Amino acid sequence: MDTATPAIQNLARQLLAGEPSRPRGAIGSMNQAVRACEKLRMPLTRLAGATGYTSLLSRALVLAKRQAPSLKRLKVVPDGSLGGIDGIPPDSTATDASPDAGLILVAQLLGLLVTFIGAPLTLRLLHESWPAMSIDAITRSIEEQS
Amino acid sequence: MSGPDRVEIRKLPTGVPGLDEILGGGLPEFSFNIIAGAPGGGKTTLAHQIIFANATPERPALYFTVLGEPAIKMLRYQQQFEFFDQAKVNSAVRFINLSQVVLENDLGAVLAEIVKEVEAANPGIVVVDSFRTIVRKAQSSESADIELQGFIQRLALHLTSWQATTFLIGEYTEAEIRDNPVFTVADGLIWLYQHVERNSIVRKMQIMKLRGQESVPGLHTFRITHAGLQAFPRTFGLSQTSDRVKGERRLSSGIREFDSIMGGGIPEGDSLLMAGPSGSGKSVLASQFIDEGLRKGEPGVIAIFEELPAAYVHRAARLGMDFDKPQKDGTLKIIYIRPLDLSVDETVHAVIDAVKQIGAKRVVLDSLVGFEMALAPDFRHEFRESLYRMIGALTRVGVTVFSTVEVQDDFNSMALSNFAISFLAEDIVRLRYISINGQMRKMLLVVKMRGSAHSIDIWEYQITSEGVVMGERLRGYRGLTSGIPGPWSIESGQNDPAPRAD
Repeated sequence: MDTATPAIQNLARQLLAGEPSRPRGAIGSMNQAVRACEKLRMPLTRLAGATGYTSLLSRALVLAKRQAPSLKRLKVVPDGSLGGIDGIPPDSTATDASPDAGLILVAQLLGLLVTFIGAPLTLRLLHESWPAMSIDAITRSIEEQS
Repeated sequence: MSGPDRVEIRKLPTGVPGLDEILGGGLPEFSFNIIAGAPGGGKTTLAHQIIFANATPERPALYFTVLGEPAIKMLRYQQQFEFFDQAKVNSAVRFINLSQVVLENDLGAVLAEIVKEVEAANPGIVVVDSFRTIVRKAQSSESADIELQGFIQRLALHLTSWQATTFLIGEYTEAEIRDNPVFTVADGLIWLYQHVERNSIVRKMQIMKLRGQESVPGLHTFRITHAGLQAFPRTFGLSQTSDRVKGERRLSSGIREFDSIMGGGIPEGDSLLMAGPSGSGKSVLASQFIDEGLRKGEPGVIAIFEELPAAYVHRAARLGMDFDKPQKDGTLKIIYIRPLDLSVDETVHAVIDAVKQIGAKRVVLDSLVGFEMALAPDFRHEFRESLYRMIGALTRVGVTVFSTVEVQDDFNSMALSNFAISFLAEDIVRLRYISINGQMRKMLLVVKMRGSAHSIDIWEYQITSEGVVMGERLRGYRGLTSGIPGPWSIESGQNDPAPRAD
């Protein structure tokens, strides 16, 4: 059921790259992911409603936790925001902390969207929050790998 | 309905083939409409088709979703349709979820949210899907009726003032129309029906109300395919006229002797009915009629309902007729219309489209029995009326129609068809088997030709490797039409010639 193909992971990486990574390590990566999810929340809530977005993010989080156990303390609160980030070990060398955890979560969320509505529509929705993104090139890349 | 001193109501295209004609030219701009029907009837698809046909980034369409089909799922399914232009999503077509507002607030807040979005986006089209859920929410309060009426009036007023054409989508039953403020305020009411009968689904639509313009009354069938909705106006083809004068010219059937029996050929623009039992050569005669037309540069259309086109072409080839090349050349179209759930309007549409496409002069309907079988059961009880509309539409475009109909012969009478449809045809030719001298032979008789002289003799014919070949007049027999003739002289007591010994 893992929908986060390498192309979608690349897309997630691009989205996260635009977000400040502070502090370094797992917490920094997670902060990037939280900010990316917040950016996604607005267009997706507008489209699918708060319940629709919360359901998608919850599913993405469950899938991501299988790959990144450090996300286990993270939860989706009813308004669609992410809570529990304070529970993530600040030290990136901690045994269960993955510097890629944030990336995995965003990739799972994007993967779900692509599964449900396809790459072109997903990218159109993302474009609202990341206007500099090249929709056509990324669509091709995702579709080639699907 | 319009004059020089009246305001001109611009009509928006629906994007649904056939629907603009039913609406009387399109959707009245700035109108406040309801699309109603049962679940699965095509309401959301119709709304999507309309918005994708009209929305632009400058005058976008706002699609408000409310507690109905989740938006993500709606996008997942709707993008399967050809009309769904992904490039328009989020620019010309914008989806906005109102579920939370409806769940947590009163109608005033819902209206305020819609107004806020409308004022920000300056939309040309607004859709609320499903409006019924807003109504249900309103009905939970004590002063429901007044609140709802006020809400609908303010909504209609505001959206019209902002120059938006509006569609409220709802699952309603016809019993709910009375005293419902939604229907009172609406300028247009499009009702979609879906009936399941045996194994077929029949979809119909009705324009129950449309202010300001003349729509076509009654029920019209429609189909939902990968292209979206396609409507088939029940008056399709009946308003057309042809420049050709009926019967001014005679068309050769491809059999010289048969032409002669018919007084020089089949009158152009006529509807000819070829009736006979199975295996009597009806389809062979029909093929020869088309083949002769092709030789003379007259394109043809063959609508078949039983055989597959490949089998039909193969059978014609065995009789020396090449139907492959003319199909490639675009002078012949063989239409095999998907059986079992057809509507007549859909069939008429397919045939007339083909006629127009290749400029056909000759059309074969082979056979009317197959056509009846191909219709959804819902349409079979009105088969005669359907045929009348179909033949009427075809002859109005000026083509000559050659229909075949299978007749089950008995040996007491000679029926013209099982459907009492002879009034549809200007010309009727009857084929039947006759038993003579221990052989089952075939006879042909021109029963009628409206306004034209024809042979009144009964003729023998054979089906050979070159098609139908006419024989001699069958003289000296009595009771030929019964199929079991006897020598004329025994009955009459006259000294008429004895039957020919063959």
